[in-house]
Amino acid sequence: MQRKPLTLVQTILMAMALMVVLFPIFWIVMTSIKPPTDWNASPAIWVPSKPTFVNFKTLFDPDAIREYGVGGVSQSATKAVLGSVLASVVSTCISVIIGLFSAIGISRYANGSKATPLIILSGRMFPPAAIAVPFVIMFSALNLIDSYSGLIAIYVAVTLPFSTWMLKSFVDDLPREVEEAAMLDGRSRIMAHLTVTIPLIKGGLFATSMFVFILNWSEFMFALVLSYSNISTIPVQLAKYVTATAGTLYGVQAALAVLAMLPLVIVGYFIQSHLARGMTFGAIKQ
Amino acid sequence: MNASNIAVLQREKARRRPGAGIGKAMTTPGQIVSLVVLVLPLLVALYMSFTDWTPTRGSLFQASFVGFDNYSDLLIYDTRFLQAVLRTLLISVICLALEFSFGLGLAVLFMREFRGKSLLFSAFLTPMMILPVVVGYIFWMLFQSNGPINQMLEFVFGAKAAVEWFRSAPFAVTAVIITEVWHWTPLFFLILLSGLNSIPENPVRAAVILGASPGQIFWRVVLPMLKPVIIVAFVIRSMEIIKLFDEVFMLTRGGPGSSTETISLYIYKLAFNDFQLAYGAAAAFLVLLGSLVLVHLMLAPVRDQLLDGGR
Repeated sequence: MQRKPLTLVQTILMAMALMVVLFPIFWIVMTSIKPPTDWNASPAIWVPSKPTFVNFKTLFDPDAIREYGVGGVSQSATKAVLGSVLASVVSTCISVIIGLFSAIGISRYANGSKATPLIILSGRMFPPAAIAVPFVIMFSALNLIDSYSGLIAIYVAVTLPFSTWMLKSFVDDLPREVEEAAMLDGRSRIMAHLTVTIPLIKGGLFATSMFVFILNWSEFMFALVLSYSNISTIPVQLAKYVTATAGTLYGVQAALAVLAMLPLVIVGYFIQSHLARGMTFGAIKQ
Repeated sequence: MNASNIAVLQREKARRRPGAGIGKAMTTPGQIVSLVVLVLPLLVALYMSFTDWTPTRGSLFQASFVGFDNYSDLLIYDTRFLQAVLRTLLISVICLALEFSFGLGLAVLFMREFRGKSLLFSAFLTPMMILPVVVGYIFWMLFQSNGPINQMLEFVFGAKAAVEWFRSAPFAVTAVIITEVWHWTPLFFLILLSGLNSIPENPVRAAVILGASPGQIFWRVVLPMLKPVIIVAFVIRSMEIIKLFDEVFMLTRGGPGSSTETISLYIYKLAFNDFQLAYGAAAAFLVLLGSLVLVHLMLAPVRDQLLDGGR
């Protein structure tokens, strides 16, 4: 198709859409750098006259946060941030490694029947609130409740369909001949996969890892029902601040929200050309 | 030849194919994880849904078996459940329609040539990269009675235009829809744009030569070719929006009353606030059944494309 330039009306529409998209992000960033007096001012203050990073400091200072503490919010966010990093990084690594082998297995040896993907898709439809119930029961029997190992096990299982299917679409893109050539050189099948297949899809491997990381970092409900006092993640901490102190902790909450979204936005820009593939289980490639 | 014969033959064939053992070994860990961590809990939940178990009554296996009582209670007497189902469907239909329209409009604009295109492309994708809990929190702030949205309404429509967003049911539902549309329109935009970009040029050229107007070309030539992509986008989004939880949890907790309660939120409250675990599990299976039917109907025309990874 020939590419025409935008008309004036279209330019205006585009500008309006851009403002709608960016305004909420602008608002949360501005709130995170507002001094406490500006947090809940009426009328609302759009751009603070004295921007400050004090909210970010408060977030990690148990004494400072206790001063605002109403209804039991005396926790700094340190544990939640570390918990999020631990749970997301470890479960992403495990999920991608298992997914990588499944992907090669399915793509190259057509293992599993036609029904397998349908079962996986059906699993994605099940309301997580309901999967959480048997998890809580099983995990209390296994002493895994309120522990990172339990959370990581769930994250691996939940993201495995994504990592498998996204990686499979990358392996599918690779012609079989490259491995067969390596095998003619006398390498075994396993060595051919390890030394040829995997290095050739390392771009896809990176994109998949980042995509799975986004999913894990964003997860909320399982963390909510499986964490009591030992473990915490950023989304859970954010929800706790809202319940306990609605209306009083704006700036600090906003600071935590900014910290939570920053890594995802950066990672997201890096892999934006693969986002469609990840979201659609590899059905749409760009 | 009957089905089991075919299965045996296929198994034979698989065994003879070189490297079948390696393939099996490679897929086994994934299958074990899915089995232990997804299928097993599902079976436990299924069993539980036929009992009257609550955690206060000791172990699950001592609970008495009540057959389909939970299911019939849900379908016949539980108006809160039925309302949550209808509400979730309503929110889903409105959101998907809006997300599709805005996403398609934006994608069509991106078929034009202009400066800073790749930068704007990234900017428009930003919302879908933000975690749902944070999106819910951002809009919770925006919709406060002294927040910026009311401020803008007052500026445009006068002092009386401000709305208590979370105090009345219709406004609270509207707030949820606006949040959800903001969050996920980028996904439709992304999928539809990649669909538009991969449309072959020849049919479009032919239509131009035959004297079709731009409108005709769009509706009669381009849109039909986009159909598989559109269906994939709808299926993926329906599967997610039917589970809508995080944003609503942050925005309204289902309130006021239960007027913004989605299916997931209702099941969550049943299980973790009221400890009616068995009843909640039954509700979940009804929902699963319903969404399975819905998604498979939608999926029928594009099943192979989605499942074979676009081969």
